[in-house]
Amino acid sequence: MTDAVHEVPGRASTHPRLTGTVRHVLLIAISFVMIYPILWMLSGSLRPADELFGGDAGLMPSQVTLQAYSDGWFGLQVTFGRFFANSLIIAVLATVGNVLAASLVAFAFARLKFSGQKFWFALMLGTLMLPYHVTLIPQYVMFRSLGWVNTWWPLILPKYFAVDAFFIFLMVQFFRGIPRELDDAARMDGCSPWRIYRKIILPLSMPVLATAAIFSFIWTWEDFFGPLIYISEMSQYTVQLGLRSFIDSSGTSSWNELFAMSLLSLVPIFLIFLFFQRLLIEGIATTGMKR
Amino acid sequence: MATTIQLNKIEKRYEAHIVIPGIDLEIKPGAFTVFVGPSGCGKSTLLRMIAGLESISGGELMIDGVRVNDVAAAKRGIAMVFQSYALYPHMSVYKNLAFGLETAGYKRDEIDRRVRAAAETLQIKDYLPRKPKALSGGQRQRVAIGRSIVRDPKIFLFDEPLSNLDAELRVQMRVEITKLHERLGNTMIYVTHDQVEAMTMADQIVVLRAGQVMQAGSPLELYNAPVDQFVAGFIGSPKMNFVPVQIADATGVLLDGQRIETGQVLEGPVGTPLTMGIRPEHISVSDGTGQAIGEARVELVEHLGVSTVLHARLAVGAETLIVVLPGQQPCRSGDVVSLRTDPGLCHLFAADGRALRN
Amino acid sequence: MAAHNTVATSNARKQVAAGGWLWGAVRRNGAGYLFLAPWLIGFFCLTLGPALVSLYLSFTNYDLLTTPEFVGMQNYVRMATADPKFIASIRVTLLYVALSVPLKLAFALAVAMVLNRGMRGLPFYRAIFYLPSLLGTSVAIAVLWRQLFAADGMVNSLLAQFGVEGPSWISNPNYSLYTLVVLSVWQFGSPMIIFLAGLRQIPVDMYEAASLDGASPARQFFRITLPLLSPVIFFNVVIQTIEAFKAFTPAFIISGGSGGPINSTLFYTLYLYQEAFSYFRMGYASALAWVLVVLIAVFTAFSFLTTKYWVHYDD
Repeated sequence: MTDAVHEVPGRASTHPRLTGTVRHVLLIAISFVMIYPILWMLSGSLRPADELFGGDAGLMPSQVTLQAYSDGWFGLQVTFGRFFANSLIIAVLATVGNVLAASLVAFAFARLKFSGQKFWFALMLGTLMLPYHVTLIPQYVMFRSLGWVNTWWPLILPKYFAVDAFFIFLMVQFFRGIPRELDDAARMDGCSPWRIYRKIILPLSMPVLATAAIFSFIWTWEDFFGPLIYISEMSQYTVQLGLRSFIDSSGTSSWNELFAMSLLSLVPIFLIFLFFQRLLIEGIATTGMKR
Repeated sequence: MATTIQLNKIEKRYEAHIVIPGIDLEIKPGAFTVFVGPSGCGKSTLLRMIAGLESISGGELMIDGVRVNDVAAAKRGIAMVFQSYALYPHMSVYKNLAFGLETAGYKRDEIDRRVRAAAETLQIKDYLPRKPKALSGGQRQRVAIGRSIVRDPKIFLFDEPLSNLDAELRVQMRVEITKLHERLGNTMIYVTHDQVEAMTMADQIVVLRAGQVMQAGSPLELYNAPVDQFVAGFIGSPKMNFVPVQIADATGVLLDGQRIETGQVLEGPVGTPLTMGIRPEHISVSDGTGQAIGEARVELVEHLGVSTVLHARLAVGAETLIVVLPGQQPCRSGDVVSLRTDPGLCHLFAADGRALRN
Repeated sequence: MAAHNTVATSNARKQVAAGGWLWGAVRRNGAGYLFLAPWLIGFFCLTLGPALVSLYLSFTNYDLLTTPEFVGMQNYVRMATADPKFIASIRVTLLYVALSVPLKLAFALAVAMVLNRGMRGLPFYRAIFYLPSLLGTSVAIAVLWRQLFAADGMVNSLLAQFGVEGPSWISNPNYSLYTLVVLSVWQFGSPMIIFLAGLRQIPVDMYEAASLDGASPARQFFRITLPLLSPVIFFNVVIQTIEAFKAFTPAFIISGGSGGPINSTLFYTLYLYQEAFSYFRMGYASALAWVLVVLIAVFTAFSFLTTKYWVHYDD
């Protein structure tokens, strides 16, 4: 598993002509192009409002000000503080649901024996490919009839029923790698399946639980479609919806404020990226996550 | 005090696939029983069924006269030591030992007392705060045994516990387990594919093959009176020599045209093919006493110091026999020797592998 | 009497056996199904059930307020014959898939090749390249893109420095889709990481042997790297294509939810959203969803069928 990420130093280059410096220059150039837009957004968010928009593709503002941040924060009837709080609560609750439900189900698939196991596992894999649009409308009708439109329930509750098969799959892969004799030993020690799950498998699965939690958090944080459909009242908005309203209400006239708020919306992801980069990359390398 | 285990027609099936077709066996209280057999013979499956880790498809498993087929593993009063030790990697040694007791709801000070006592017995006191990762193979093995001791079980099961150790440690742990058995006096069942382990440790050896008990008995019974060719070949090292012979008369067989007196009455017409089994250590060279087998040419000599092993090809029939001679012999490959044996120590097997006895 | 007795006991025995069988089944499977329960509930109530309902709705007219009215194949017929927006959305989506997936993967593979084999600074580059993927579908990035390619955006001001007057990329139907393709390519990081992991699996001595045999780097690439990497390429193609079919947020933000200008960014999912949640034609939207499933299924099946011609498996 770690094999994919550990660097293997001193191996022969496959491109003898493209060695050393040339390669680094090329890569630095690509890196620069890659992050230039983000830096440009950062610089834009620090510019005063009257600095003409298209005037400058450069990164240095003539004058640095945080005005756009404070103006943007209070730019709508509801402050961005509220949107951030909403997003955070939804993302945390959804993450807990995803990790909890997926780990329970993955435990059943990977460590227990029951009849019909292969059948259900195949079905579960089948739902991986199913686009959510197929269930979208009936789910909407259902949640609407429950009176849950304009609440967070439709965004959170499904996660507690392991609807994202991806996380189940991820955990099944990891759980299968834990030696089976540990379960046998635990059974001899008198453990119920629940205690094996709780005391043996979960503590040994911290890396995969963390990976699942991180991706779950990021995906919920970035989710636009779900909130777009279910949330209409501004006080319930997530950050993504808040940004969208901001575009609609101000257009490009206050682009610096838009940039400021956009950047802020990315801060949690930047932070996670900074601290958990290794887990993210391992997660992708081993399971082939979509993004 | 010690516990009897009785297997009545124990079966194991996976859907249509039969792994164990029905085993009858009684394990006497306090005995050290070894299940031995080649890989895939069902010995581990049988052990796991006794442990309660594997369901029993048919028959009855009785412990002290009580049917325990449907009793959960932990309630059978059994502890098990696994091949890979199966120590919980995220717990300290102390926690590993205490875990089963905690699960069973023991009080803290009782747990502590038992863990320390077991650690004392196995000399692992110093490692209690360590994680299994920080232990050597032998230390892990001790912790695994310690984990089974703390629960004070009626029965100990060992599933090839020494196969991950190097040769030297293996001998040492073999002695320790034997001593442990002597001290505790519990009924123990030990699974191995290594017949040396079986011979050195067992009170009773159960030889399994394809899910069936071929023979059960004391090590010497199995060595001296194997019931069939498989057991004869499995027990003893180097392996017993097998040569084809024919019935010559009422008590003699022909080996490459030479009559050998067997000392037992043979049934069946003259010329019936049989297999003769001669243990390498029962063959002597040149002018020893006993029955002549024939001239043979030495092809390979292994000097082990304590003994000398010859690979010798019979001049007439061309079978290769392995001969173990005591001490250091001045043999060289290319030598021609005449092989002799004591007919009383030879075994005869019918075409179906069954041993012929009087 | 004796006979009667025997029958009674044998019946009783049968009952015990039946009860024992049931109890045994519960004992053997109970724990498994308890742990499986969250998913089972979710599968039936949130996946299978809704999917079947949506299949039914696709044969109805349903506006969310009145009861669905069964109309047979009418929705599908309308799609095929009388809905230019549907045709436009299909065209836009297929074009987007056909452009963005190969470009993104080619770029990902190229960078992975350059990064491969433990060069210094690899973690740094890998992190930088991966970051855009992670920011992925957030609204902020779509906002950024909108401003990059606006008439007075960064791209045009860069071009202006070279004396080129760029068009208004976003509001020009000839270019708008391509800005989204560029956005997709910019997010090549996650397939790149998968490629890197795949490249690691290729033993170095294969290249060494090939070099000794005098194979040129190009030949090594086509004869060693590509064949051995083909399972990973296949995986990436399938996953990225499905994701591209499902793309929504950037088109929504850049076009302000309209799919404009002139339907040039009317992604299939965006059209589906409009039908369902702007016009409340839930029946028609359900039919659209099922067509999407069929599209994805056909594509996936087709990909799997072609594997035997180009995907090389070890065993």
